[in-house]
Amino acid sequence: MNELLESLTRCVERGKVNSKSPYPPDLKGQDGADEFARKAIDAGIPPQEILSNGLIIGMQRVGERFRNKEIFVPDVLMAAKAMAAAMGHLKPFFQSDILKHKGTIVIGTVLGDLHDIGKKLVSMVIEGAGWEVVDLGTDVSPEKFLKAVDEHPGCVVGLSALLTTTMVNMESTVKHVKAKHPNVKVIIGGAPVTEEFALKIGADGYSSDPQGAVEFLNSRCTPN
Amino acid sequence: MPESSSLDVVMFSPSAEALGVDRDLVVADLGYRNGEAPDMVWELVDDLLPQLPAHVEIRCGFRILPSGSIDVGDDSFTANGMQFSTGPIIASQLKRSTSLALFVSTVGLQMERWSAQLMAEGDMMKGFLVDALASEVVERASVWLEQRVVDHIAPRGWKITNRYSPGYCDWAVSEQQKLFSLLPHQFCGITLTASSLMVPIKSLSGIIGLGPDVKRGAFQCSICDLKDCYRRRDDPGPAKEKA
Ligand code: B12
Repeated sequence: MNELLESLTRCVERGKVNSKSPYPPDLKGQDGADEFARKAIDAGIPPQEILSNGLIIGMQRVGERFRNKEIFVPDVLMAAKAMAAAMGHLKPFFQSDILKHKGTIVIGTVLGDLHDIGKKLVSMVIEGAGWEVVDLGTDVSPEKFLKAVDEHPGCVVGLSALLTTTMVNMESTVKHVKAKHPNVKVIIGGAPVTEEFALKIGADGYSSDPQGAVEFLNSRCTPN
Repeated sequence: MPESSSLDVVMFSPSAEALGVDRDLVVADLGYRNGEAPDMVWELVDDLLPQLPAHVEIRCGFRILPSGSIDVGDDSFTANGMQFSTGPIIASQLKRSTSLALFVSTVGLQMERWSAQLMAEGDMMKGFLVDALASEVVERASVWLEQRVVDHIAPRGWKITNRYSPGYCDWAVSEQQKLFSLLPHQFCGITLTASSLMVPIKSLSGIIGLGPDVKRGAFQCSICDLKDCYRRRDDPGPAKEKA
């Protein structure tokens, strides 16, 4: 595989943002995701390859290692930062439609719940997998979810909740959205949520961690 | 000095320093074992710790129910004529209690604003670590408060059980509504939403069994049913118990 792409993968995996970043210490002074993305573009590597064969692979490894408890939230945040630095260079290609997201997920914490961080983390890893994320924030009503689905035809919906008392509002959200858009897929997650609960309320997927959400999106929510 | 009232209610506003927030515990709760966190995480935590006093508004307190006012069953207890369905695990730990301390603790709204602001400015890492610190502070406040309960009831010859919170071990989160109904209005500045979420977020509520014949039970994690919790500990080590 192309050396520049391999470097990009490694930078995302290790959370190496740019040459000025002192983290991780063993890569101090070396180029980061920022520089390698620029170099890859300048070298004429197609943006789609930079994204798919460089960045996304790095983020996938991060998601897997987080799931296996080999790395933890701060490591994921550094990886997401490195990913974002590289994505900055790819932005123009998204704007000119040369690059396309795999799809869109509208995500939010359900009505009555104000927990934000778990959902933010999931969003970052999903974004790192090549999906567009529309984050509606916290305490999101079923009506607000529906409105966002109206505005993003073909999107997937992600729901988060951290307490059993707010988890029940996932059911009304699923019902409300599916009444109008029966084909919209919904994935749910959060500490008290289980696979069994997801099935019971008519959601299409559940994951206890961000990588599971990516796997659900890639396998169940893409046209091909 | 604590504020008191005829209800046997006591409230405190301890400083962050008084609680002894432990950097090792903060980092361990992120998931890292044996202190093996990236240097950057240690540096940021060490940088943020001294900034805590400027952002926390720690308030905690308890109400001691009158002696003999509670009745503990197999999977519930009754206090002030109200039944609390704790489930069998917690009820069994409360056996022999003749009274209860109802408690809350909070770090205040300022901490979550600080965290949200850092994240909005694009510093996810610091924002996340402030959030983790806030969780640690509120847990420390609860541990600190436990000792205040011990001191408060010692003259009566009573001892305490562990702390138990609605939402753990089959005790529904929604039962916080009943718990709060027995506490002064907006006790320690905490409000409970219709969905039983405490605001500020970084707050804890619960009960402690009291009486001449009660004792502290096994380490908390060992009775919890959230088996794959990322914070599950086999052995808490001395003085490092977590809720
Ligand atoms: C730290 C913590 C606290 C802290 C801070 C809370 C906070 N989040 O800010 C404090 C001490 C304040 C606290 C308080 C309480 N807590 Co608490 N707390 C936890 C703990 C240990 C970790 C939560 C956390 O921050 N995780 C880290 C973040 C990053 O993870 P996350 O939000 O879960 O998100 C991840 C996944 O869930 C998933 N995910 C999240 N959203 C989504 C969405 C989708 C679509 C997908 C696919 C995946 C996904 O991916 C994320 C990344 O991996 C959990 C137990 C646990 N292991 O989860 C209990 C827990 C959440 N708490 C619980 C309870 C009961 C409470 C209290 C009600 C106790 C009480 N009576 O005082 C209070 C409520 C506070 C309030 N304001 O109302 C219960 C909730 C279950 C229930 N019964 O409802 C838990 C599960 C513990 C348990 N053993 O049962 N708590």
